[in-house]
Amino acid sequence: MKKSGPSQPSLKGTLISVMAVGAVIVVMWVCIYLLYIVRM
Amino acid sequence: MRTGEIAIKDRKVALFNLGFAYSAFLIGTLCGLLQVFIRNDALKLPEWLDYYQILTAHGLLLAIVFTTFFIFAFFQAGMSRTLGAFGPKVRLWNWIGFAVTALGTLLVVVMVVAGQASVLYTFYAPLQAHGLFYVGLALFVIGTWIQGFSLVGHYAVWRRHHKGELSPLFAFMAVATIILWVIACLGVVATVLFQFIPWAFGWTNGINVELSRSLFWYFGHPLVYFWLLPAYMAWYVIVPKIIGGKVFSDSLARLSFVLFILFSIPVGFHHQLTEPGISSFWKFLQTVLTFMVIIPSLITAFSMFATFEIRGRELGGRGLFGWIRKLPWRDVRFTSIFIAMAFFIPGGAGGIINASFQMNEVIHNTLWVVGHFHITVGTPVAMTFFGLTFWLIPNLTGRRFTKSLQKLAFLQIATWSIGMLLMSTAQHLLGLLGAPRRTAYTGYAHDDALAWFDGLLTNHVTMAVGGSILFLSAALLIFIVIQLWWLAPKADEETYEAFPIAESDSSMTPRFLENWKIWIGIAFLLIALAYTIPLSEIIQHAPPGSGRFQTW
Repeated sequence: MKKSGPSQPSLKGTLISVMAVGAVIVVMWVCIYLLYIVRM
Repeated sequence: MRTGEIAIKDRKVALFNLGFAYSAFLIGTLCGLLQVFIRNDALKLPEWLDYYQILTAHGLLLAIVFTTFFIFAFFQAGMSRTLGAFGPKVRLWNWIGFAVTALGTLLVVVMVVAGQASVLYTFYAPLQAHGLFYVGLALFVIGTWIQGFSLVGHYAVWRRHHKGELSPLFAFMAVATIILWVIACLGVVATVLFQFIPWAFGWTNGINVELSRSLFWYFGHPLVYFWLLPAYMAWYVIVPKIIGGKVFSDSLARLSFVLFILFSIPVGFHHQLTEPGISSFWKFLQTVLTFMVIIPSLITAFSMFATFEIRGRELGGRGLFGWIRKLPWRDVRFTSIFIAMAFFIPGGAGGIINASFQMNEVIHNTLWVVGHFHITVGTPVAMTFFGLTFWLIPNLTGRRFTKSLQKLAFLQIATWSIGMLLMSTAQHLLGLLGAPRRTAYTGYAHDDALAWFDGLLTNHVTMAVGGSILFLSAALLIFIVIQLWWLAPKADEETYEAFPIAESDSSMTPRFLENWKIWIGIAFLLIALAYTIPLSEIIQHAPPGSGRFQTW
């Protein structure tokens, strides 16, 4: 169902920002994972 | 009464809680300063003072006392602000609760100062403190419960008078946090009352170590969220008002708090991943539940960015990130909390690493963990509390947060950020190089240990430099607190610091989000699922109880 009414604000910056947060999590995790693998 | 003003009688109990919090903060940070110098072999303590004594004091005074007293001050002020002034019974019970919490704290501190309780803030058995230390801990928890229940009573009265309405977001979140705290404390109360006290007073001969540690961590992990949720409250409810915006989504905010009640408790085993007494299946199950708790934190991250972007665009921000520049960076009440949020990104990511089962072996019992909680509770939580302090004390004392104090506040948060960046980065990296946590100066004549004093960031000296900057920052904060409390000029109608509460549209919020029976019920179900069998195994297959150890 389509809603009529005031246009929704743009949240593109939010989308990219949360993706960046996700990227920090993944990069840090992978670094420690690799360290774990190397030290096994 | 002016808008944003709290009933005069209610201010006093909040101020007493704040006073206790900041007294603990000053002593606790001083202990931290001594520690970094000892670890660096630059300081020898006198005979009558022990490293583990000040380490215990540092952990307890900052992680438990400062946080808890601050949180109750914030709750009392905020509940009085959003639900109306306390009735005489609620006020009386808040005072009684405060007195019991304070009495417990004093007992604990006396035992630590007397050298009878150098057991660190985790008070792991079989280290044994004086029995009165545990009595103090029990009183502390009981005191917080009395304060918590009296606030819930205030909320219940409001709901009786507003049938069918959703409560204001601040009150909802405070009640959710109190529910989380009460359920979490059941574990620590059980181990203190039924294991530690009988054992410390010599009524029983031994203690089931694994059971005590499991009950502690049943409490210890949600304790983390007891610190974090009030910071999230500031992020969700206070910050949008400061920047001139609104709460992004009332439903999403309430949902995230409900998810914390569900998923922050049945996860304690992720602190015990290297312990042999718990089978892998239960560790794995609790690891999965731990990862569930990431969801409400990511919901919070999304809500914050959305709040900022919408407000920044309203103020004329264009393009993908033009809205960032439009935010009120010159307002220290906002900037402090924004930096606090930023610290939580690597802080939260580190937490995910810690809880990743086998990967925990990389960091377990190393300085990494110390670095981790300094960029979680030590900055995202603590600096949010600083950001609240800047207006909360003037709000309660009727004084002005003057321009010169605002400049000092900027200096304070800048020094805290730089000090923490240096100290926690060094701690994380040293941890990866194997430097242990908890221990005093570790002068092993081994290449690995010598490497902990090489390098720019992988160096105990860097940690000490960061720690020193942090202590200067803490002293500056105490100066600001004293000014705001007693010395700053009195505010008038125009300069009065209001208690900022953002508008939150709850017209579309599902009513079941405030049906506590559902959430408490599911929480207990998850706890039963995650803990019943492993705890019964720990009790059934227990070795003979351990005797007491006092290593200091």
